[in-house]
Order: sequence, then C-alpha cells, then structure tokens
Amino acid sequence: MTDPAPDLGPVLELSVRVNGRPERLRARAHHTLVEVLRDQLQLTSVREGCGVGMCGACTVLLDGLPVSGCLVLAPLADGREVVTVEGLSGADGALDPVQEAFIEATAFQCSFCTPGFVLAARALLDEAPDVSDEAIVEHLSGNLCRCGSYSRIRAAVGAARDGLAAEAVAT
Amino acid sequence: MLDARERVTGRVPFTIDLVLPGMLHAKLLRSTSAHGRIVRIDTRRAAALPGVRAVLTGSDIVARGDIQPRFGPVLRDQPILALGKVRYVGEPLAAVAAVDEDTALAALDLIEVEVEDLPAVLDLDAALAEGAPLVHEEPPHPGPTFADVILHTGSGTNLCNQFRLRKGDVERGFADAVHVFEDVFTSPAVQHVPMETHACVAEWREGGLTVHATTQIPYLLRSQLAEVFRLPASRVRVIVPTLGGGYGAKCYPCIEPAAVALARVAGRPVRLVLTREEEFVTVTKHAVRIRMRTGLRADGTICARQVTAHFDTGAYADIGPRLIKNGGYGTGGPTDIPNVWIDSYAVYTNHPPAGAFRGYGISQAAWAYETQMDIMADALGVDPYQLRMRNLLSDGGTFATGERLEDCHFQELLTRVADRIGWDGAAAPVRSGSRARAKGLACIIKGTVTPSTSTAAARLDDDGSLAVVTSAVEMGQGAHTALAILAAEALAMPVDRVRVSHVDTDVTPYDQQTSSSRTTQAMGHAVTEAVVEIREQLLDRAADALEAARDDLVLADGSVHVRGVPSKGLGYGQVLRSSRTGSLLGSGRFQSAGGLDPETGQGIGAVHWHQAAGAAEVEVDLETGKVDVLRYEAAVYTGRTVNPAQVDLQAEGNVAFGVGQALFEELIYDGGQLQNGNLGDYLIASMADMPELGLTALEDPARREIHGIGETGLPPVMPAIANAVARAAGIRIRDLPLTPERVLAAIRARAADERDDAAPAPVPSAPAEPVGQT
Repeated sequence: MTDPAPDLGPVLELSVRVNGRPERLRARAHHTLVEVLRDQLQLTSVREGCGVGMCGACTVLLDGLPVSGCLVLAPLADGREVVTVEGLSGADGALDPVQEAFIEATAFQCSFCTPGFVLAARALLDEAPDVSDEAIVEHLSGNLCRCGSYSRIRAAVGAARDGLAAEAVAT
Repeated sequence: MLDARERVTGRVPFTIDLVLPGMLHAKLLRSTSAHGRIVRIDTRRAAALPGVRAVLTGSDIVARGDIQPRFGPVLRDQPILALGKVRYVGEPLAAVAAVDEDTALAALDLIEVEVEDLPAVLDLDAALAEGAPLVHEEPPHPGPTFADVILHTGSGTNLCNQFRLRKGDVERGFADAVHVFEDVFTSPAVQHVPMETHACVAEWREGGLTVHATTQIPYLLRSQLAEVFRLPASRVRVIVPTLGGGYGAKCYPCIEPAAVALARVAGRPVRLVLTREEEFVTVTKHAVRIRMRTGLRADGTICARQVTAHFDTGAYADIGPRLIKNGGYGTGGPTDIPNVWIDSYAVYTNHPPAGAFRGYGISQAAWAYETQMDIMADALGVDPYQLRMRNLLSDGGTFATGERLEDCHFQELLTRVADRIGWDGAAAPVRSGSRARAKGLACIIKGTVTPSTSTAAARLDDDGSLAVVTSAVEMGQGAHTALAILAAEALAMPVDRVRVSHVDTDVTPYDQQTSSSRTTQAMGHAVTEAVVEIREQLLDRAADALEAARDDLVLADGSVHVRGVPSKGLGYGQVLRSSRTGSLLGSGRFQSAGGLDPETGQGIGAVHWHQAAGAAEVEVDLETGKVDVLRYEAAVYTGRTVNPAQVDLQAEGNVAFGVGQALFEELIYDGGQLQNGNLGDYLIASMADMPELGLTALEDPARREIHGIGETGLPPVMPAIANAVARAAGIRIRDLPLTPERVLAAIRARAADERDDAAPAPVPSAPAEPVGQT
C-alpha cells in the first residue's frame, strides 16, 4: 500500500571551488547550482527569479564566465570554480569597484536582481575593459530589473569601467 | 538608500533566505480545469510517502472544524484550498509539506484528482451573458476590512460589485454638446512580475502564530489570519523583511493561509515559495473594457461624459470590489466635467484573481480618456496639447467626485513635458525609409487611498541614535530611506544615525497599507509627529543640562547648543546620559478623512491628488509594425521632494512598466489556461527596451506638501506612446498592447481603406486622419 521513498537518484559528491575556497557539495543529478549554493553554503545572494535562464537574477561566474545558476546542473560544476557576489569583496571587506559604482549611482531599488547585475557587469569589464556604452546595454539586457533602475545601472557600469581604466593608467 | 552596502553585496535578507529549525517545504497541487466540480481527491498515497509530514485538501480543512475555510480582503470568497469547485486553471487544490522540496513534489504526483469540467466563463461577454454559468452560486460573505469600500453586490449573476458616480445631469450635458465621441477601449491582464515571488514561512509557537511573509499590508494579513485561524489578532505575529518588489502584487493574502494550515497540521514550521509559473496565476492586473462617451461644446471644452467600465476580477474578488471605485471615478480624468455618469463593475470570470496593480485602476481609466482625447483632437483638427490645456483641471475646478480641487499642476506638468520633448502640434511624422517618427502626450490624475491611518513610534537612545519604528514595508521604493530623511530633519541630526525598523507586528504599530503611493506622505507625517514629541522632551532636558532657557536652544547636526555659542554644544546622547533619561519615546499618527456617497460617488475621493504627465517620441516601422520608444519625458508632481534619487528611480520604474504594458505585456489565455506564464514567453522591459529618459519632479515650495510618486508616473506612459504611434503611422489602436501584429494590421487596414474609393462617410468616433500628416 505504502509507496517506497521517492527515487530521486543517487547523491553525487562534488568538489567545487567557491569564492576561492575548496568546497565539498552533495547533489542529485537534477539539482541546480542555485539550490546547492543556497542550501549548502548559505550563499543567499544567488536568487532564482524565473528558473528558465531569462532574468539573470541567479547569475554566477563559472570559471570566470557569467552563467544562469538555475540552468547549470550542480554536478556540472564538479571540479570547476564558482564566484558569487559574496566572493567579490576583499578579505578586508573592501567592495569591488562595480559594487562601489552601484552604491555611488544608487543603481538599484529592491536589489533582488543586483548581485546578478554586478556579476554580469564584472565579467563584462574583465572581458572588455573598454566596452562601449552601447555594448553595456546589449550585454546587460539579459538581466532583468523589474523596478526599472536601468539608466542608473548603465551609468554605474560605465563609471566602473572608467574608474578601472584610470586605475590601470595610474599603475 | 540606507542599506546600500548590504544590497550590493547581496546580504540584505529576503523572506526566501529564512531557515528555521525543523522547517518543512510546501508545494501546492493546482487545478488544470478552469471551472469544474471536484468529484474526488485522494491524498492517501501522498500522505504515506516517507518524508511527507502533512497533506491537506479543502475538505480536510473544513473537516477540522477549527479553521474558517475562506478568506479575502473584501469578500470572504476565496478558499484556502478549493472547496467543491475549482474556478480557474492554477487554483490550489491540495497542499503538501515534506522534509524537502523534492519529496513534496514527488508527493504531489501521488495525489489522485477527479474533476468534472463545468462550462466556464472566459471573458467579460461570456460572464455577463444571460444564463451564464455562475462562478459563485452563492453571494460571497463580506467582511469589515476597509472603511472606504462601497458594496452593491448582486446575486444570481457574475457581477461581483458595482460602483456608481452621478455628477450633474448627463442627459442635459450631452444635449449641450456639439460633438459627441464614443469609443471602446480595452487593456489586458498583465502580471506584476516582482523578481521575488510570493514567499511565506509559517510557524505555530506557544499557542500563537508567527508568519514571515512577503506582504505590503502586514496588519491586514494579521487580521485575516486571525479570522481564519480563530485567534485574537494579537496572537498573530507578522514579520516582513524587505521585499524583492511588490507593485501591488503583495497587497492581499493568497498563499499564506495554506502555509499556516500546513504548519498547524504538521506541528512544524512550513516554508512556501512560489515558482515563477505559479506567481503568474496568483494575482494579476484587471483586464478592463471601457465604453466612453464624451461630449464637447463648440469651444472644445468637455461638457458631458458617460462611462461603462467592466473589470475582469477573475475567480475571486481579492481587492476588485474596491478597485473599481478608483478605476471608475478615475475615468473622469483631470478634467472639470460638469455632467458625469459612471458605472463600473467588477465581474467574476474563470481567470486567476485580479487585484491591486501599480496604478490601481487608473492606468486602465487613463488608457481610455487620454486615447480618446487625441481621437477627439484629431477629428476636430485641434492640437491635442491645446485641447488638453483647454480642459485640464485648475485650482477651484471640480473633479468627477464633485470635490473642488486645489493644488492643481496639470497644465504646468503637461507644458513641461511638451516643451522638453519639443512638441509641435502641426508637425508631420518624420519619415526615414520604412520608419515614421512622431510624438504623443498624456496627463493623468490619481487619488490616494482615503480615509487612511498610519501610526509610528520613535526612540532616541543615549548613544544619540534614533530608531524609527513603523509597519511601513520597504520593497525597493525607498520608503525606509525617505522616513529616515524626514526623521533626521525633524530632529536636526545626521541621517546615518537613524535606523528604520522592518515590520514585526508584535512591536511595530499599526499601518493601514504600504500602497497607493501613500507611505512618504502618510507615514512620513506620523514619523515626523513622533520625532517632534521627542524633540520637545529633548529640549526640556537640554535646557536643564545647559542651564539655559529652552527658547535659546538650537538643535543642529545631532547636538544642542545655546544660540550664539555653538562651541558649547552637547550631543543628544550626552543630554540623555547626563540626565539619566535612558531613551526618549515619541508617537505619531496620520489619519485622513473622506469617502464617497455609495449612490452618487460624490464626496471626498482622496485627501490630495497625484498628478503626472508624459510625452513620448516613437519610431514605427511601417513594414513590420514594430514600435521603438526613442524618448520619454516624465513629469510628476512631488509637492516636496524628499529623496531626489528615489524620485528618479520610481519615475524610471514607472516608464519601464509603461513601456512593457504599452508594447508587449499581456497574459494570453486559451480555454482559461495561461499560455505565456513564464519569463521566456512573457516579456518585461529590459535595459535595451528603455527610451532616453527625461524626468521632472515638480515641487511647490510654498505648499511643501509631500505627494507620493510610486505609481503616479505610470498611467500616462501607455496613452502617450499610443498617441505617438497614432501620429507616426496614421492609425488608431484602442486595445493594449501595441504589438507589431496589431500595429501592422492597423497599418494594412488603413491602406486598404485608402484604396477603397467607396469608403463610408467618416463618423466622429472613427479613427481620423492625424492632423498635418500626408
């Protein structure tokens, strides 16, 4: 009469480098990166907004590239490196220049989407330090902000780009 | 914003982040039938599944006998879980709590459901037809929640509620009219899409209930849960951290009673978080059809308006019975019309419930009156800017509700956006290949909930910091920052020494609602009053400490000194410490009065009126029908701007909402089944969709009365864009959104008309040739 416990498949042991530290994670084949980062490492900046890779709220850097954490099955991160917004701040608590620029420009309202935007912008500036304003809009149009703080986000990313460029010249 | 650092580091806590010891995870089984009789639900296999701790159906809840099975802010018509019937696709039928989400989902698969389909009413016409199937056979039971609700509920039909407004003599008004226009306008259901979906963690403890919830109206959730679970309200504790957006979606109870019922049965905390797909069928913006007849005198002034508005409120009333009042009187527009007759109806259908949505009925009303304004101007060969200026309310004019308005800035707002966009009423569209470019205008009036009440407490501690304690919900609109700024001003101290509480109804005092663009004004007033109480006590103690007359004391930057002797100041904390005061406490209240006559809709609709105008410049691709909004100028009356950055952000947010609703947002149903309930198929504005923006916050330095701006800028956006599209493409569309398909069809229909030599004589309401265009 009683059904057996649901067969959810085997639990896999994963080794993932998260925010610079080696971590052991456990996941079934269907678990997403969002689920394991939130549930096992309490990285609550990684937030699911749509579950289908359309909103960018759960953006994390996987081996340096921005991905939607809701679309990456956790076992696929085995042996790889993940960075969340928690990992952007320095050990001394210093913020990333992109985060500083977001504060300076007040580039958020409810901020549910902000970590995703910050990481997407960070990856963009890593790849293209001299990215144009138009290209910023194009790249960041994969992240959604329902509060609509877009012009300030665009300005913040532009300011971060300019600040990093000035720093690069100075050093 | 106060907690900017926490927000950019992802550390600001949301409801979804909460983890309690022993917490279970809930999932809901939802109806696949739009309207059906529940024949059988068998949950035995699900309940026996290892890891499952509770399974509930509507009849399980009734059988317990200790839970009132229905809730709703106005009418108690919504079952916690479907009872007897299902009324929309997506209605919760059964709920499971299990040790993890995987197990809860597996349990849902084991629930056997048999539902016998009934004929469904899937649009307004079907719902209003004679002999239509009834969504509710019995008239729902009203509750006493709101002071301003007017109820004319029917029985034996699908009419949920009616609002009537009668001003002057509308027949005589039309008899005086030289031109009469009649049009039907529709706007579809859309969804709020807060990036954070509804979430709730419920926990029974020591005979009481604690609920962590994503709600904009904590005290209403508290009273509803107290009623449903038969507790004194004081035994229900509602805790609300910051919200990941609200926009009206999170005003009224929806999932919370089910989570609380599961927690009660399981004896453990229960967490329920909706998926994006579930969010889409939980609450929506009302789809509306408005028939508007407007009469003008020879000089172009409006002398009569008659409106019939039908709001599709879905299967459960939610706040629909109250919203039709605002959406109803709102069709009067920012115009002094002597003769007005408005009938507005909330209609039950077999769609998901419609409720509060940023704009609260005014977006739908403004879509009608601001589109018709351009239709009339075009037909009369008048500049739409001039026709508006001739009709816009000015001080001393009367609104549809009969109230005399002061503090009117409509003409100034409209002129501001017209100037900034470079308005020229005689300008022909600018053609470039297949593209045509033109501009459009709109101007709106919006009330704020009246009467309403907010209370606040404040506490000055002996470290010189001030705590502001309220039940105002922070949801990204910057309410807490605005309250901190006002509190700091009232006590002459740095804003970074002010903390603003999140909501915990065990501690934070009553607030009616965080909605209706009211918090900065209403709660701001209460907070200021509370802080002024503290200031008076502080001055007494400082006078003793400084051995000076009270009137000689000056408060500045967190210190008090004797006038002319700033060097001998005492910090506020020093004053409290030296006088062994401990904390200083203050309390404050905002309470407004007003209301409308239930038969005539005359009276005081709002304690003051929100005002906005917008101007859009668009480019229409005449070959594809695609519309690009190139530029948008928004102007909003703030009275007094408290936080300029936040005013900008809210204004831009309104434009983002408006661009989506003008061009692509629409919930598409087929047989009651939502076809695009996910963010792959339902698009919202991205950065790439945003126009170049100009924002004007208009203040009145003499009056200095704060006007909320959370929603005010939204209603003009859709008609301003559509009016620009009409001028660019020579087409007139009365149905939102302006999808490429719809625009292209209108362009082709116009071309076909032009080819047809035997075209019928134009009637006044038909789309006219835009003035000055070839």
